[in-house]
Amino acid sequence: MGLNLLALASSRLPSLIGAVSVQGIALGVMPLLIEHELRWLVLLVAVATVGLKGFVIPTLLRRAMRTANIDREVEPSIGFVPSLLLGAGGTIAAVALARALPLLPEHTGSLLVPGALASVLTGFVLLIGRSKAISQVCGYLILENGIYLFGLLLIHSTPLLVEAGILLDLTVGVFVIGIIVDRIQRAFDSLDTRKLTVLRE
Amino acid sequence: MPRFWLVSTVLGAVAALATAGSVLFQGAEWEWRSSFLVGGEFLYLRLDGVSALFLALLAVLGGAGAVYASEYWPDKAHPRSATAGRAWWNVMLASLAFVLVTSNGLHFLLAWEAFTFAGYFLITLDRHRREVRAAGWLYLAASHAGTVCLFAFFAAVASHNGSWELGPMREHTDLAPFFWLALFGFGLKSGMFPLHIWLPSAHASAPSHVSALFSGVTIKIGIYGLVRFTGWMPVPDIAGWVIAALGVASAVLGVAFALGQHDLKRLLAYHSVENIGIILIGLGFAVVATATDGGDWGRLALAGGLLHIWNHGLFKALLFLGAGSVLHATGTREMSRLGGLWRAMPWTASLFALGAAAISGLPPLNGFVSEWLVYLGLFDGAIARGPIAWPLVLAAILLGVTGALALACFIKVCGVVFLGAPRSRAVTHAHESGLAMRAPMLVLAAGCVAIGLAPVVFWPAVATAVGAWRPGWADAATIVPDSLFALSWAHGVLAAVGLAAATWLWQRTRRGLQRAVTWDCGYEMPSATMQYTAGSFAGIITGWFAWILRPQRHAHCPVDVFPAAAHFEEHTPETVLEHVVEPAGAAVMRLATLVRRLQHGRLNAYLLYLIVGVAALAAVVLLEDRP
Repeated sequence: MGLNLLALASSRLPSLIGAVSVQGIALGVMPLLIEHELRWLVLLVAVATVGLKGFVIPTLLRRAMRTANIDREVEPSIGFVPSLLLGAGGTIAAVALARALPLLPEHTGSLLVPGALASVLTGFVLLIGRSKAISQVCGYLILENGIYLFGLLLIHSTPLLVEAGILLDLTVGVFVIGIIVDRIQRAFDSLDTRKLTVLRE
Repeated sequence: MPRFWLVSTVLGAVAALATAGSVLFQGAEWEWRSSFLVGGEFLYLRLDGVSALFLALLAVLGGAGAVYASEYWPDKAHPRSATAGRAWWNVMLASLAFVLVTSNGLHFLLAWEAFTFAGYFLITLDRHRREVRAAGWLYLAASHAGTVCLFAFFAAVASHNGSWELGPMREHTDLAPFFWLALFGFGLKSGMFPLHIWLPSAHASAPSHVSALFSGVTIKIGIYGLVRFTGWMPVPDIAGWVIAALGVASAVLGVAFALGQHDLKRLLAYHSVENIGIILIGLGFAVVATATDGGDWGRLALAGGLLHIWNHGLFKALLFLGAGSVLHATGTREMSRLGGLWRAMPWTASLFALGAAAISGLPPLNGFVSEWLVYLGLFDGAIARGPIAWPLVLAAILLGVTGALALACFIKVCGVVFLGAPRSRAVTHAHESGLAMRAPMLVLAAGCVAIGLAPVVFWPAVATAVGAWRPGWADAATIVPDSLFALSWAHGVLAAVGLAAATWLWQRTRRGLQRAVTWDCGYEMPSATMQYTAGSFAGIITGWFAWILRPQRHAHCPVDVFPAAAHFEEHTPETVLEHVVEPAGAAVMRLATLVRRLQHGRLNAYLLYLIVGVAALAAVVLLEDRP
């Protein structure tokens, strides 16, 4: 959760991407910590997650950033301090909300649910409060991390295929966004998504 | 190709007329169910008295209009739209006929939409003119507002019955409230008073044969819907009073608006509103009669209303075709530019005058017969019943006022357009129209005279329709009212006297006529502009109705002793459209523009909407869970 706040506070794109990749690695290790006995399926998921979220996707993003050749400021539309406050408020709200949710008895005590909700909220704050395409991708990734964290509750009942499919979707999504970022940069000479409003209608 | 179209259309019309006639005069009902599905439903066609009454009118006007169009809208003069006009004309006739015979709600709606679209394309045949496009657009928008209500109506009835098929269902009293939906949907199409906003511009801008079909048949389809579903379905208790009140309002205000018009076809269009009012008075009081005592007088009122459907179809089509001839010959519908057409177009002028006499309800023509029946019903009702007598008397008085105003209006039209001296150069080159335009007018005029002179012959047809509307009245309806016999005789004598007087005058004229200058009130050199204009003729009466007509005047009067440049212009707008519908529409537009600001293309804000929405939903769920 500290990583969420770090992502909100970081004013430069590389550090934002770094926060996302560290969060990805932490997520990947998470199933190993939760599970008591090591099974090959869980191991596989963990390795794939760490590989993709911790290394492949950040690499893709860094490359997109380099090819687009943009300055590395984040350009927030919600300032850093308000974003931090929102993120903190979101975290508190997540903890409060997790108490109110009708959960299974074995999940009630764990920090997984509030953590997941907090990540989703942070992702939203990033998506809403940042105007550059790459920082929005990072917001999206954090949002997705939250969902993944939530999905860990169900790791026994979710088939491997679904997990793998989600990861694949994510990778392809980021890949495509990487290409689009390049295109946007060429067409608009900027990665500010606010300028895309001229495309409406 | 046009010739083949003409022949086949006329043959089809004759066949339809024969079918309708066999149902009306021999009482045979015709029913057919298909073994295949159309749109998921079996076709279910049924031709009873009510349908046949309208089908006969459709056949007559469809055929007459087709013949008229062959000269009025030929390929030579309108190379781009003549073919489209023929195609849409037939689509229109076919879908109208289908609306009349189908007994399935879903198919009714399909055909209803089809003829609405055909009507739109017919109105906008001459679509390179801006006003025509505007009129077509208004028609389409208004029609769809009505169709929405009909969709709701038919869907509600179908869900109550469990089937789209229609038929008598008077015992399902829980269906009664849906009548209001039907009243709005059908009333909008029929052009009753507050819902007539689309009618004047559409009728005025359409080619004249299309105006004739619209005014003669299409708006009657709205009446058909009302007649059909007041007959088949239970209605709320006050439905009859509401219909009658709308009828009175349409009749009086329709003619008042007509008096304020200077455009020949627009004026005729407002007279359609008036005549729809007369029909609705008959229908409304028939519904009142069934709701109160089921009395005899309601039968007479309904018969009058139903006969007026035929009559109005005949003489209004005649008048529109006459107006079309004037437009064809002079190129203008503006009455202040016409005048003295009597000499150039004797046929058109006489036939138009005949139609004018008929629509004003003058004996011995058909308008008088149907209005007489309505009066008879109202007076019988007033005599028979104590408590509802006063509204009936009031309606009869207002109906009389309407007739008087209509007469004044048509004296204005005939006087300004056909008598006097030409007001512009357009008139001096006018020529009589050809045979293909005169023949349909002659047929329609013959219909007017026939119903006027021999109403007894046509009574059985109306009686069949009355019986189909309310089976309880079927037996009583076959007896011809005594007064109708008396009326036939009186009309015969009157016609004979009139004919004799006309012959005598004709003989005298042939011996030689002295022509002299009109007394010019002492002015030197009278000119055509010194004649009464349409506006000045109707000035006093439009003054009485200024509270609703709201005429716009632009006057620049001469003040000095010596005449200087002067200018006077008066224009009567469509009050309901400009003072009610347009402000309401503008308010909706403003609101919509405000809402539209939410859609600005900024992704971040869209995501904000999303999370606010999710949070709101979560809050709702959590708060509801907590007791």
